Amino acid sequence: MKRPLSFQARIAGVLILLLLVVVGAVFVAVKAATQDAVRKQAQAQLEVGTRVFQGLLEMRGKRLRDAVQLLSSDFGFRDAVASADSATIRSVLLNHGARINANDMFLLGMDGKVLSSTIDQIPEGSPFPYYQALRDLKSHNQSMLIVPLQGTPHLLVESAVLAPLPIARVVMGFSMDDDLAQELRSLSGLQVSFLSVVNQVPGQIISTQPQPLYDSLRGLMMKPADDQMQMTEHGKHSYLSARLNLGNTGDSNGDQVVALLQSPLDQAMQAFAPLDEKLFWITIIALVASLVGTLLLARSVSGPVRTLALAAERIGEGDYSTPVNLERSDELGKLAGAINSMQSGIAQREKQLAHNALHDGLTGLPNRALVMERLGSAIAAERGVALLYLGIENFRAINDSIGPEGVEQLLQVMGEQLQLPLRPGDTVARLSGNEFLLLVHNAEVDAAVAVADRLQRLLLKPQRIHDHDLSLDACIGIAAYPANGDSPSELVKRAAIARQDATQMPGRLQVYEDGRDLAHQRQISLIRDLRHAARNGELMLHYQPKLDIRNGRVRQAEALLRWQHPQFGTVSPAEFIVLAERTGSIQLLTNWVIEEAMRQLAEWNRRGLHVQLSVNISADDLLDGDLADRVSDLLKLYRVPAEQLIFEITESAVMREPEHALNVLNRLRECGISLSVDDFGTGYSSLAHLKRLPVQELKIDQSFVRNLDETSEDAVIVRSTIEMSHNLGLKVVAEGVEYEHSLRLLERWHCDTAQGYLISRPLTAVAFEAWIAKSHRSPSLMIH
Amino acid sequence: MTHVVSSLLVAATVLLGSAAHAASLSAEFVDAQGKPLSDAVLTLQGPAGKPDPAPKADMDQRDQRFAPHVLAVRTGTQIKFPNSDNIRHQVYSFSAAKRFELRLYGGTPSDPVLFDKPGLVVLGCNIHDWMLGYVYVTDDPWFGVSNDKGTLTLDQLPAGHYTATLWHPQAPDMQPLAGGDFDIPAAGLHRRFSIAVQPKGDDVPAAPAPSAFGDAFHKAAHE
Repeated sequence: MKRPLSFQARIAGVLILLLLVVVGAVFVAVKAATQDAVRKQAQAQLEVGTRVFQGLLEMRGKRLRDAVQLLSSDFGFRDAVASADSATIRSVLLNHGARINANDMFLLGMDGKVLSSTIDQIPEGSPFPYYQALRDLKSHNQSMLIVPLQGTPHLLVESAVLAPLPIARVVMGFSMDDDLAQELRSLSGLQVSFLSVVNQVPGQIISTQPQPLYDSLRGLMMKPADDQMQMTEHGKHSYLSARLNLGNTGDSNGDQVVALLQSPLDQAMQAFAPLDEKLFWITIIALVASLVGTLLLARSVSGPVRTLALAAERIGEGDYSTPVNLERSDELGKLAGAINSMQSGIAQREKQLAHNALHDGLTGLPNRALVMERLGSAIAAERGVALLYLGIENFRAINDSIGPEGVEQLLQVMGEQLQLPLRPGDTVARLSGNEFLLLVHNAEVDAAVAVADRLQRLLLKPQRIHDHDLSLDACIGIAAYPANGDSPSELVKRAAIARQDATQMPGRLQVYEDGRDLAHQRQISLIRDLRHAARNGELMLHYQPKLDIRNGRVRQAEALLRWQHPQFGTVSPAEFIVLAERTGSIQLLTNWVIEEAMRQLAEWNRRGLHVQLSVNISADDLLDGDLADRVSDLLKLYRVPAEQLIFEITESAVMREPEHALNVLNRLRECGISLSVDDFGTGYSSLAHLKRLPVQELKIDQSFVRNLDETSEDAVIVRSTIEMSHNLGLKVVAEGVEYEHSLRLLERWHCDTAQGYLISRPLTAVAFEAWIAKSHRSPSLMIH
Repeated sequence: MTHVVSSLLVAATVLLGSAAHAASLSAEFVDAQGKPLSDAVLTLQGPAGKPDPAPKADMDQRDQRFAPHVLAVRTGTQIKFPNSDNIRHQVYSFSAAKRFELRLYGGTPSDPVLFDKPGLVVLGCNIHDWMLGYVYVTDDPWFGVSNDKGTLTLDQLPAGHYTATLWHPQAPDMQPLAGGDFDIPAAGLHRRFSIAVQPKGDDVPAAPAPSAFGDAFHKAAHE
């Protein structure tokens, strides 16, 4: 397993590094402190030792002086000295000097001359070299002189010989030998060395140090006087050394006695060696302990972390069921708890997401994806299934009256209602705002129709929502597998087409018919192209003459829209007008028609052909408040008298928004345009209602006229309509006049105008003009 | 000492009084600073007089001191060394004028010591180093030692011309000094002598300070 630098190793590394730094610092600090302490200790030792040394030397001097004084008080000695006999004096000096272990003895006269001497260097009769120095001792509060004598340092003490007045001075010299050095060493704890220097020539060295060091000691002691302590190396040992100039004779000729006191550092350092060793072992133990501790700590962290990482991986792979088991109360334990709760949270949300992905949020019903899947699986299993594509036709109106919240409530209620007629295993899905798809398994078309019927009846029952009693106008299209296709999308599309068709059906129910999807494609193309038809010059007006029955002349025509589609050729108005009305593009067409009619009227007027043109106005046009203004503007533009225009409206168009429509109609009427009720007799309008409309003309629907017979029911209707209209002051136009006898009947019943193939089929403008011209020449042709 | 001198003087006066007119010398001794100087010795050489045939003197030891501190005697004087202390002394002298030693003794030794050579005899006690006394042995007929006030009176002197010699323990090198020549009239003379004394040598040991032990011992010994 590749682990370049594990967490564990890093923790251990950092801790050990830190420890090393700390231990190193401690070691350095301890070393520095010990060295400092050693040095200070040595310094203190040296200082104390030096004082001890000086004290000892002083004490020795006093002791010697006292001894000499005692000696000089000896009566025999005084007697001998007073005898002034040189030999006697010499012998007494030797004798008494030996008593106190003096090395050299002198007797001086009161004038400082040597009376007697035991060394040849200072002969009798010569002035004693240190006489004055001895005399000054008292004033310096000292008791002895330290002088170089015969190559070795000597202590000189003197005492007066009293008889009882001083008659002479006895001086005794004590050489500073190894014994003295050893004694001083044992008492001061310092290495002691003496050296006498006479005329810059060093004498014999006396030292407690071993012989081999003498040369370097001598070198150090011969250096110019420097009382400062200094570190010196002798052999392999280092010392803190102090150099003392012991000579106090006041001589300036360079004679001196030098003492070197040395405090050995190595020894003191060695005292700290155990500390160093202990420190070393403490370091080793601390390192090992911290390594072990770190590894344990790191393991106690990295183990759980690995467990958590595995858990996270598991969760990433989608396993939400295995919890992390970490029995700890620390942060890692909390993390494990958090991961567990995260795991369950993710699982829950994923479930929710999955549900949301396949279900409608509002109703909780399956959505398109799920229903498609179920449909797919039914097809895969070759199980028969019927699709019911359900849409609410009056959804917009309902939305307007109860608002979005009410709609939501309604949809939820619907969702429940839709499931009522279904068996378990069947599916209700919501596809879009007001569209649902139901899958009824193992059902033929007949069974599906039965279900659809039940649904429609259920939904028609008024429901109270937000203080509104609502009944739903459900259009249902039905397609079935395997009858209508074998792919889910195809089946759904065909069910949707059937549903579209159902909107045009009185029963609001349509079973898909083969080929309807091609028709549907054509409709879609037409809807698409209709918007551009006017601009592309594909539209044109045909004019069907209207015969004035009374005088047998044609002075009127109905302008009929024709569409020459580049792909489908001539498209029937019955087809595209419906599409235009459905898609809201009817107003575009109406506007074009009105303008084209005016343009044509203006053109004919210029050529002396004066006709009155009827133009069809749809229901949507009546909702357009600007219609009257626009028409008025166009009349002015083309300079066409308003009397030349008749707008034909259907009863149902007026009925949709009666108030609004009435307003538009009145304004059109004010412009001088005549109004005509088209397709009279097909709607539900009453005569009372008709009376309110500002119309001047009534067009009896061709369904009543086409097969008009003296005995038929139509005859009664037509005849009574004509009479009634005349009673109301309206002119009557009969459409669809195709037979001679029909015309005769209409003439007898005093119908004002006739229109139909009997007179002429709709003609192009040119043909119409020609037809008029021809009819003028031979009016009889108009009927044949 | 005053008693000794006065007795001498009385004797001299008695002896000389009939021979000539008696005169007196009143001497006053001062040091260089003009302070009165005691223990100064004045000897006079003048008109011939009749010397005392067998002069005698005492040098007492009292309170571990020689009393008097300075004693002037004529050559040939027998001096007794009575010991007034309740401890013993061992009086000695290594001086050339008289070298002697009296072994440890108490009370008055039977034999006086004859000082038969003129000169200075320094006295010491072998067991009390601080004890110091001076015997000034002179051939001059008239002599005296100044008292604590630094004065000295010599009576019964024949008027005439005198040569004076001065000495003091702290005189330079302890040598006698010339005191000048002068006439002493019958009416007497008052004269002032100045001696430049030197400080005491530091070699001379001082008497030990009385210690508590010493006091206790002293007390015990006297009760």
